Amino acid sequence: MKKNTRRQRKGSITTFRFVLFTGTAITFVLILLIVILGDQQFGPVHKVILEGVGPLQKTMASISNSLHSVKKNYIDLLTVREEKERLWQELQECRTKAYANRGAVALNARLRKLLDFKESSNQPTITAQIIGKDPSLWFRSVIIDRGSSDGVRKGMPVVTGEGIVGQVYASSTDYSKVLLAIAPSSAIDVLLQGSRIRGILKGTGKNLYQLEYILKTAEVFVGDRVVTAGYGGMFPTGLPVGIVSKVTRNRRGMFLEIEVVPAVDFRTLENLLVIEREKKNFE
Amino acid sequence: MLTLSFILIGLFLVLVQTTLFMPSPLWLAAPDFYYILVGYLAYNVTFLRGIVILLPVSMVLDIYSGTVIGMYPALCYLGYFLLRFMVAKMPVRKSLYQLPLVALSYLMVNWILLLILDFFQPQVIAEWIWFPILFRAFLIYIFSFPLFRFFTFVEKRVKGTFSSPRFTRSLPGNQFRQN
Repeated sequence: MKKNTRRQRKGSITTFRFVLFTGTAITFVLILLIVILGDQQFGPVHKVILEGVGPLQKTMASISNSLHSVKKNYIDLLTVREEKERLWQELQECRTKAYANRGAVALNARLRKLLDFKESSNQPTITAQIIGKDPSLWFRSVIIDRGSSDGVRKGMPVVTGEGIVGQVYASSTDYSKVLLAIAPSSAIDVLLQGSRIRGILKGTGKNLYQLEYILKTAEVFVGDRVVTAGYGGMFPTGLPVGIVSKVTRNRRGMFLEIEVVPAVDFRTLENLLVIEREKKNFE
Repeated sequence: MLTLSFILIGLFLVLVQTTLFMPSPLWLAAPDFYYILVGYLAYNVTFLRGIVILLPVSMVLDIYSGTVIGMYPALCYLGYFLLRFMVAKMPVRKSLYQLPLVALSYLMVNWILLLILDFFQPQVIAEWIWFPILFRAFLIYIFSFPLFRFFTFVEKRVKGTFSSPRFTRSLPGNQFRQN
C-alpha cells in the first residue's frame, strides 16, 4: 500500500515539474515571439531589465577601466626613462639654439647700428672685426682684420654706430693696430655739442675720458654731449664721443677738470668701421 | 730643438693671452703668461738660450700690445736678468722661492719700467694703480704652478726624444756593404 502511495506521489511531482518547465518555456518563447514580432518598442519590461542589469554593468566597467589603467600606467612606467632622456636632450638642444639665437640677435643689433651709421655718414668705410686685444695694463689697443690691402692707412678714424673708438696706429697688408680713444696716449680735438666750447679729449686707460684745456670761465654741465671737432681733418665733425659725467673746479689752475663717459662701450667691442679719409691728412 | 720648442710655446702663450684670455679690451683677469715663461727660462735654461727664446716672443708682444716699441723686450730681459741675478745670490733652496719670486719680480720690473717711461714719456702710459697690478701679479703666481709643470714636461720630452740613444747608438754588426 505504502509502496503504491509513494509511486503515485513521485509520479505527480514529476508531472508537475514537467508542466511547470514546459509552461515557463512556452511563456518565454511567447514573450520572445511577441517582442521579436511585435512593434519593436523599448517597453517597460526592457526598462526594468536595464535598471536591474545597469549597476552590474557599471561595476564591471569600472573594474575593467581600473585594470586597463593599471596596465597603461605600468607600460608608461617602462617607457618613461627613455622619454625623459629624449625630452632632456630636446631641452638641451632648444637651450643651445636659444642661446645662439640671443647671440645672433645681439650681433644683428650691433651690425644694424653699424649699417645705419655707414648709410647715414656718406663717408666711405671699411668694416673690420677685432681679432686681438692688448693685454697690458698700460696701453689700450686692438688688432683688426683689415690692412693696407683693404685700404686701411695709419691715422684713419675707427668708429662704431655709437661713436668714436680710436684711430689706426699701424697697418700691415692684412691687419692693423688700432689705438683706442681711451688709451693714455690718445688725444682728440672735441667740442661740447651745446656750447661749442673746444677742448682736448685724453684717454685715461680706464673706461673714461679726461676733457682738458677748457677754461674755468666756461659753462660746462654734467650731461653735456661731447662730439668730435673735426679740426686737423683727423675725425669727421660731429661724431659722438661721450657725455660729461663730472665737472670739478679746482681753486688752483686755469682749467676745469672734466670727466667724460665714452659713448662707445669698450667692454663689448667686436665689429668696427674704419672711415676712409685722404692719406694726405695723416702724413 | 729645445730653443725652437720654447719659442713656439711662447708665441702660443702670447696668442692665447691676447685672444682667449682677453674677452674685452678692458679685461683685467688676463694672466701674463709670457712673464711666467721668463721666470722659467731664468731658472732652468742657459743664459744665451734664454735670451734667444725671449727675443721673438717679446717682439711679437711688442707688435700686439702697446705703442712704445721695445717696451716688452725691455720688460722681458729686465725680468730675466733680475731673476737670474737673484737666483745666483739666493742662499735658500730654489723650490721654496722660485714661484713667489716670479710674481715679485713682475711687480718690480713693471714699476721700474713705468718709472722710466713716466720720466721720458709721461703722456704715453697709464698711471700706476695698485689693485690691477697686484691682481696681475697674483694671477702670475697662481698660473706659475701648472705652467712650470708643463714647461718641465716639455723640456724633459724634448731632451728625452732628441738625445735618446736610438738616434746616436752604434748599430750591431758590419754596417758597410760587403759586395
